Amino acid sequence: MLVYLHLAALGLYGLSAALALAPFAGFPVASRRWTLWVAGVGAGIHTVGVAQLSLVGTGPALSVLAWCLVLLQIGSELLLRAAAVALFTAPLAGGLVGLALLLGLAPGAQPSAGRNMWFILHVTLSVLGLALLALAFISAALYLLQFRELKAKRFGQVFQLFPPLERLDRLNHVALVAGFPALTVGVLLAVGYAVRYAGGMHVDPAQLVWGSFTWGVLGWTVWVRVARHWAGRRAAFASIVGFAAVVLVYVALKLAQPGTERFL
Amino acid sequence: MSIAVLGVNHRTAPLEVRERFAHALHEVPGALARVLEAGAAGGVLLSTCNRTEFYLAEPQEAVPEAVWTLLGERLSGRGDRGERSAQPYGYAERDRDAVRHLYRVSAGLDSMVLGESQIQGQVRDAWETSRPQAGPVLHRLFQSALLVGARVRTETKLGTGTASVPSAAVAVASKIFGELAGRSALILGAGDMAELAASCLVAEGARVTLVANRTYERARAIAEQLGARALTLDEAWSHFADTDIALCSTAAPHAVVTWERVAPAIAGRGGRPLCILDLAVPRDVEPAVGQLENVFLYDVDDLQAVAGQAAAQRRGEIPAAEHIVNEEVERFWAWYGGLAVVPALKEFRERLDAVRAVEVDRALRRFKHLPPEDREQLDQFSKALLNKFLHEPTVALKAAADRGRGYALLEALKELFGLERGDGP
Repeated sequence: MLVYLHLAALGLYGLSAALALAPFAGFPVASRRWTLWVAGVGAGIHTVGVAQLSLVGTGPALSVLAWCLVLLQIGSELLLRAAAVALFTAPLAGGLVGLALLLGLAPGAQPSAGRNMWFILHVTLSVLGLALLALAFISAALYLLQFRELKAKRFGQVFQLFPPLERLDRLNHVALVAGFPALTVGVLLAVGYAVRYAGGMHVDPAQLVWGSFTWGVLGWTVWVRVARHWAGRRAAFASIVGFAAVVLVYVALKLAQPGTERFL
Repeated sequence: MSIAVLGVNHRTAPLEVRERFAHALHEVPGALARVLEAGAAGGVLLSTCNRTEFYLAEPQEAVPEAVWTLLGERLSGRGDRGERSAQPYGYAERDRDAVRHLYRVSAGLDSMVLGESQIQGQVRDAWETSRPQAGPVLHRLFQSALLVGARVRTETKLGTGTASVPSAAVAVASKIFGELAGRSALILGAGDMAELAASCLVAEGARVTLVANRTYERARAIAEQLGARALTLDEAWSHFADTDIALCSTAAPHAVVTWERVAPAIAGRGGRPLCILDLAVPRDVEPAVGQLENVFLYDVDDLQAVAGQAAAQRRGEIPAAEHIVNEEVERFWAWYGGLAVVPALKEFRERLDAVRAVEVDRALRRFKHLPPEDREQLDQFSKALLNKFLHEPTVALKAAADRGRGYALLEALKELFGLERGDGP
């Protein structure tokens, strides 16, 4: 059942990606209602699947990340009419769900019943923080693409279909400002979980390094935006560099410690 | 019965001719009265910068001459009757073609900027202004024209996109700032295009805060209209530090917005984008200014490229729009044909009844010996016979009118029985 739900979500995310990419292949732009409906139904089915996951292991973590990304895609479209976000989120979510299916959706041991709530909140908030950092990266990438087209006076598909610069900058700002507290609470819950149930701070070094690094990167991007008033292109570059660094460090740590039982 | 349109538009006359034909609102009733005097049941005058058209109901033969004379006077100057003829610049359409013409105008199919929506308001204004002189047929025609325009814009994409330079300027600025509400704009120069683009920006919620011009008086005149502050050009450069949009349209023969003049101010913007719309020919802004960080510079060619893209998309919608227009023309013509049937039938009946009465009278004069009851019987018989003869044509004509083919049969009836010509016994 879990696999079928993920397969259905994968199909709808694929359709959502196809609808987002269609205008760039010369097809007409799909209506807003239709794109929202496809992503919404996909997210709905995926929600049922995510509710059945143990949340332990790489596969489930990727599935939750994909779910958060699609929810953020829908939120961006509804609140800021940033439909172009789907150009990145829909294929990314589809890819993550596909990868989760390949790696296995229930690879590891279940956390004990008493620890479940801590664990669910830790995973959900941490992954949400990561997804918001990804959204900041996506809005930054869209910003730079639109900026380049506007500067170069090219009035093609990017000019017509991408949101205005200021709206993308606001989306980047909101994603970072919302992502930092989510990740902070997620990390604090991990610390609390370790102290309460693992008898102290006996955390895997890779988890500690990556968690701290990601938190530090997200904190820095928020700091430069809020305290240093970075905006526009400079803030976009900061988000892209930050997200790329987080992904690269994760890949490096995962290569050093292969296995799908744990996220890291 | 017929409908006609006579006029000139942007396809048939250059701007310097069209502007002479343009009628101010207060001139419309007088001009219409003159044309109606030549013999027409109603008239509407549609006068915009791109067209001057007289729509007329049941125009007599002298009406076209009256229209061309009236327009010719405007071409030659007041009190110089008919020296220059307006007819070479004009066109005339009748009946279905006249209805189709108005529907195409209202839908924006005949506009200089394909699909523009301003024309719909102008058609409405023309109808409102001419209403006392329009008559019921043109009243209905203009009412339906507005509905056709709305239908075309709703059911096709003829009105989507930005198909003019001022609206392209708004579209480009919107791609930088998103919402334009609350954005500040600086106008440099006092060109018509800048004024038009500024009004488009204001319509989107932008605030024109400063107007700068070489001559301070001209700047003040425009600034007063827009509720802005007037400046000289030299005072304007420092304001590039805080404005969001700069609209440039001076008549200077060389670039006035140079790197040296505005770079120091732009450096102090703190990364905020600045949109510069250079609508002047020759250009007002040095291309190097566009290389400055967060400065987005667009000239007329760039904006025409944006407008051209939208126009190309709109052209694809023409067949769908024409289909709607043709459908509505037939609908109107069915109504119009039905409208014409009733008085024509009445006249037809009266004409034949007059023939019957004359013939019965003639017969009764020969049969003077008949008692009054028989004479009455004979009269009744003639009436019954006439009713029998008229029943089939009446039913057929009414049915044809219901099917929208009444007008053709009616024309045949008029031709065969000499209706409206005063022929007969």
